[in-house]
Amino acid sequence: MFQLIHQYILSLLIFSPLVFCGLSLALKDLKAIRVLAVLGSFVTFLFSCHLWYYFDESLTGIQFVQHYQWISSFGISYFVGVDGINLLLVMLTTFLTPLVLISLFEKKEESTKNLIRLLLSLECGMLGALLALDLVFFYVFWEAMLIPMYFMIGLWGGKNRIYATTKFIIYTVFGSLFMLVAALLLYLQHYEQFGVYSSSLLDLYRVNFQNINTELLLFSAFALAFAIKVPIWPFHTWLPHAHTEAPTVGSVILAGVLLKMGTYGFVRFAIPLFPNAVELAAPFILGLGVFGIIYGALVAWVQPDAKKMIAYSSVSHLGYVVIGCLSFQNSSLNEEALLGAQYLMINHGISTGALFFLIGVIYERRHTRLFSEFGGLAKNMPWFAVMLIVATLGSVGLPGTGGFVGEFLVLLGSFQAKPIIAIVAALGVLLGALYMLTFCKSILFGPITKEENRSLKDLSFVEFLYITPLSLLVVFMGVCPEFFLKKMRTSVHHLSKTYHHYELLVPDQPFVSAVNKIEKRG
Amino acid sequence: MNWLEMTLCFPLLGAILNGLILRSESKTLAQIVSVTACFLAFFSALFLSYDVLTHHEGLKVYHLASWIEAGSLSVPFSFLIDPLSSLMLLIITGIGSLIHIYAGGYMSHEKTTYRFFAYLNLFVFMMLLLVTGENFLIMFIGWEGVGLCSYLLISYWFEEDKNAKAGMKAFLVNRIGDIGFLFAVFLTFKQFGTLSFLDLKNILLNSHTLTQEMQNSIALICLLMLVAACGKSAQLPLYVWLPDAMAGPTPVSALIHAATMVTAGVYMMTRLSFFYFLAPQIMTVVAVLGCLTAFFAATIALVQNDIKKVLAYSTVSQLGYMVMGCGVGGFGAGVFHLLTHACFKALLFLGAGSVIFAMHHKQDMMEMGGLKKYLPKTHAVFLLGVLAIIGVPGFSGFFSKDEILWKAFNYPVIGPYLWAFGTLTAGCTAFYMLRLYTLTFCGENRSDHHTKKHIEETPVIMWGPLAVLAFLSVFIGFVGVPAVIGDLVGIPNFFEHYLEPVIKMPHAAEENWHFLRDHHSHALEWTLMGTSTSFVLLGALLGFNFYKRGPKGISLILKKKFSRTHKFLTNKYYVDEFYENIFVTPLQEMSQFLWKIFDLIFINGFINGVGRGLMISSALSSWKNSGGLQTYAVFFVLGCLVFLGFFLK
Repeated sequence: MFQLIHQYILSLLIFSPLVFCGLSLALKDLKAIRVLAVLGSFVTFLFSCHLWYYFDESLTGIQFVQHYQWISSFGISYFVGVDGINLLLVMLTTFLTPLVLISLFEKKEESTKNLIRLLLSLECGMLGALLALDLVFFYVFWEAMLIPMYFMIGLWGGKNRIYATTKFIIYTVFGSLFMLVAALLLYLQHYEQFGVYSSSLLDLYRVNFQNINTELLLFSAFALAFAIKVPIWPFHTWLPHAHTEAPTVGSVILAGVLLKMGTYGFVRFAIPLFPNAVELAAPFILGLGVFGIIYGALVAWVQPDAKKMIAYSSVSHLGYVVIGCLSFQNSSLNEEALLGAQYLMINHGISTGALFFLIGVIYERRHTRLFSEFGGLAKNMPWFAVMLIVATLGSVGLPGTGGFVGEFLVLLGSFQAKPIIAIVAALGVLLGALYMLTFCKSILFGPITKEENRSLKDLSFVEFLYITPLSLLVVFMGVCPEFFLKKMRTSVHHLSKTYHHYELLVPDQPFVSAVNKIEKRG
Repeated sequence: MNWLEMTLCFPLLGAILNGLILRSESKTLAQIVSVTACFLAFFSALFLSYDVLTHHEGLKVYHLASWIEAGSLSVPFSFLIDPLSSLMLLIITGIGSLIHIYAGGYMSHEKTTYRFFAYLNLFVFMMLLLVTGENFLIMFIGWEGVGLCSYLLISYWFEEDKNAKAGMKAFLVNRIGDIGFLFAVFLTFKQFGTLSFLDLKNILLNSHTLTQEMQNSIALICLLMLVAACGKSAQLPLYVWLPDAMAGPTPVSALIHAATMVTAGVYMMTRLSFFYFLAPQIMTVVAVLGCLTAFFAATIALVQNDIKKVLAYSTVSQLGYMVMGCGVGGFGAGVFHLLTHACFKALLFLGAGSVIFAMHHKQDMMEMGGLKKYLPKTHAVFLLGVLAIIGVPGFSGFFSKDEILWKAFNYPVIGPYLWAFGTLTAGCTAFYMLRLYTLTFCGENRSDHHTKKHIEETPVIMWGPLAVLAFLSVFIGFVGVPAVIGDLVGIPNFFEHYLEPVIKMPHAAEENWHFLRDHHSHALEWTLMGTSTSFVLLGALLGFNFYKRGPKGISLILKKKFSRTHKFLTNKYYVDEFYENIFVTPLQEMSQFLWKIFDLIFINGFINGVGRGLMISSALSSWKNSGGLQTYAVFFVLGCLVFLGFFLK
């Protein structure tokens, strides 16, 4: 049994949410569906813990590989695997989903049933996209993720939900289509060079472009798709709308995981597939990233709506991730910066997730998110205040929270590579504190100006249940970053040094090392 | 568990207990927890210092765990105990304990004191991290951590908008300094590949010549760290947050904004003295900046009416002295002043707190007066504090201030000017402190009838700690009696000797600092000492006489005569307004523009425009595929006509 789970762990991980989603169709009662869904997502989380535990951080290659031919004449296969680059994002996904589902526990509406089902299928889509090592397979999941999100915003959203969700879908699909064309061209290029069809990433990494212009063109198509997803300035205007209109759970997933798909795409696909093109385009993208940091922070500062503010702050934060991913130095990537960027992705998922949850908490009570409607909440909601301040500090990057570790490493690394980038980006550290503290102040502090706010209740038990883990994690990630960094280090080092001729090794007998490890421990 | 872990652990434990676990409404419980935590930390620090100073030749490094490891960067949780950090440990936990006790009395009318005490303990913890950290980053945890606690404590009474704003201002202005700190770290790492203080010290102390590039980097690092120090230690031009920080409860002002946190910049420069010695040009900047700050803040303090504001500007001014001391190469003198200042300024703030407490939270000195007879105990200790700060010979402030002025005088070229400004500042200090004292304690009481009826001496929990601080303020100076006096009465300069192992001069820097070893005639030193003392006495006399009849008489005449200067000073040179108009407002307007015009109209408009354009073009093209037979028939006929016309021509 254990052997079986171990062998098929990735498939179990990807499809168990879908299985539970299917099971939930058989149930009629909302309560039963809720329990089943939380249980299901928790099982998925346990699977990912298994992955975490048996993941061998000393190997550079991919582990837990499953590789089956899908359409063999075209060389398309079901190919999944884990390395240090996607492991933490998988963990983030499986960690956030149960919390999101728990947060629906206090919802009484019948329509919540379908929301739950959508969330489960979304989890399947995200995990598939993260774990895929076959370009076609990846593309299928990449697009599949959009569908649940489209309905989530379109059906459970606010006033302008149709506009927001249409914009979201058209924008992302627009980018993805370019990527699809580029992927096809890449696939043909591979055929030209090696005489076989294959859409496996491991094979495509070997493609050499004779013509730098071709490479640049293909890179641009991929980069556009990812840049829209991140979003890198100026492709960000769908995000504030999507966030404001999305229900709390949608925002948490969107900010927590979906945005990282963009930066993950850069690291997994764009950089190793088109190394020369990336090097050429890097100064341009770095410029956009740095500009986005400042721009996002300034615009966030003057937002009247809490969710819009967090949305713009995401533009700012992901700017750090972008500059961390693209800090080239002496024909290698700066390792500290790359590691910091990976770390920042996780931390942003946690702290922004917490912030969206907390805004959801007061939205539930007051049905508004305008700053002018709040103020002085710390008096009646002390625990809410504690949690909000912790999340704020995580977002500000105070030492002792995860945000610091990530931001520090990114800035340190990019300072070694391109000082000017780091110098401008560091302004974001100041502006970040500016808008986050303004946010905190206008919600928590000052006199209570609205009568309705006098009788607000502090966090309920369920709210505690889904917010506390995030708050604890914000601190834990700051104090013990080693716990996470060690899992990523080898893979990040490998990528940063060898992205020019990147190779991901699949161990001949993928399970031997892991099984040995089990025996050693057991 | 070793002494270091215990020292660090107790305050953190106290904070967690009070803030997250107990959250008890009971004031006594909250106070007992936090006072106990602080006292235990004090005793652990005592044992720790004793242990390290006697058994480990005054230096011990503790590696507790690894923290961040990435690429070639490796930052462990490691701590350094040496004479400097043990001194700081004892100041923080010792004076901290006294203030914790006092706070119990001061906050006795508050509802949720657990929050207050939790923050206070957290602050002590962060401050301990700051002073014991063995590398830049551990110090930085403390550096930003104390900033956080300062933010939380300033806005402790968050119901008032003004307090929340003051807290934010403190945090943000400090962040400007923190960015300087971060870049110093980046540059250090780039240049030396390590962030450990001891490693850096070893590298620099043992190198005899430095390349030009290395020297430039060191100068830049020193400059960046100076920016950090300006933020935390409230020097020009970043001092603006400190006076506003007085919005916090008074014990907080005493602990954070007088005795400990604001001196972090001085501590940090001393810790990095081996860097600073190698950058003589930056040292000049440091000295001038400190001197200007000292004078500038003292002039503002001359005319303030809020008792805490006077003390706040006085703190800025005294910090200026310390920074100047560091800048002229007298790091020992700077730290010595840090020590004496911690005692007498804590005393003064707590004393002012007692006055405010007795006056039912009135802070305007114009409404006080004659409190001598209502608060005899507070008055007695406060007077000792005043004598200590203005530097009456024999009191602690005298020795430390004199040491700095003497070191400043010996600085080449600009030394005498530094000394002159320093002495003038000492005169101003005496004037405004006596003004404060006279307006508060002497003459007739000017408060309204209701308040006057209820003025009572504070309970022992409040004046007890004051008595201890008063004792220290008077006598602590004797640990560092300068040689010129010490030789006469037979007291060695204990303090200078104590810090010697910390403040080492790199070989490569020696030629720039030979004047530190030069011998000067005792006559000169006596003359300078006499001059500055007479300035102090003059200032004190004027201050007392101008205000002994309250805000009437000579002071009123002067105020009328120099009304323009007076207005300029009361408005603090309009610095806050300047910053507001030059930085904050334009930034806000730009952000509004970026959002409303650039983001919504320009980018979003463009994208929506593309969408709309596509829709229109598709609507146009869909018109021909409408599915209506008639339309198709019309097209068919038209097509036929065209076709026929073509062929029939």
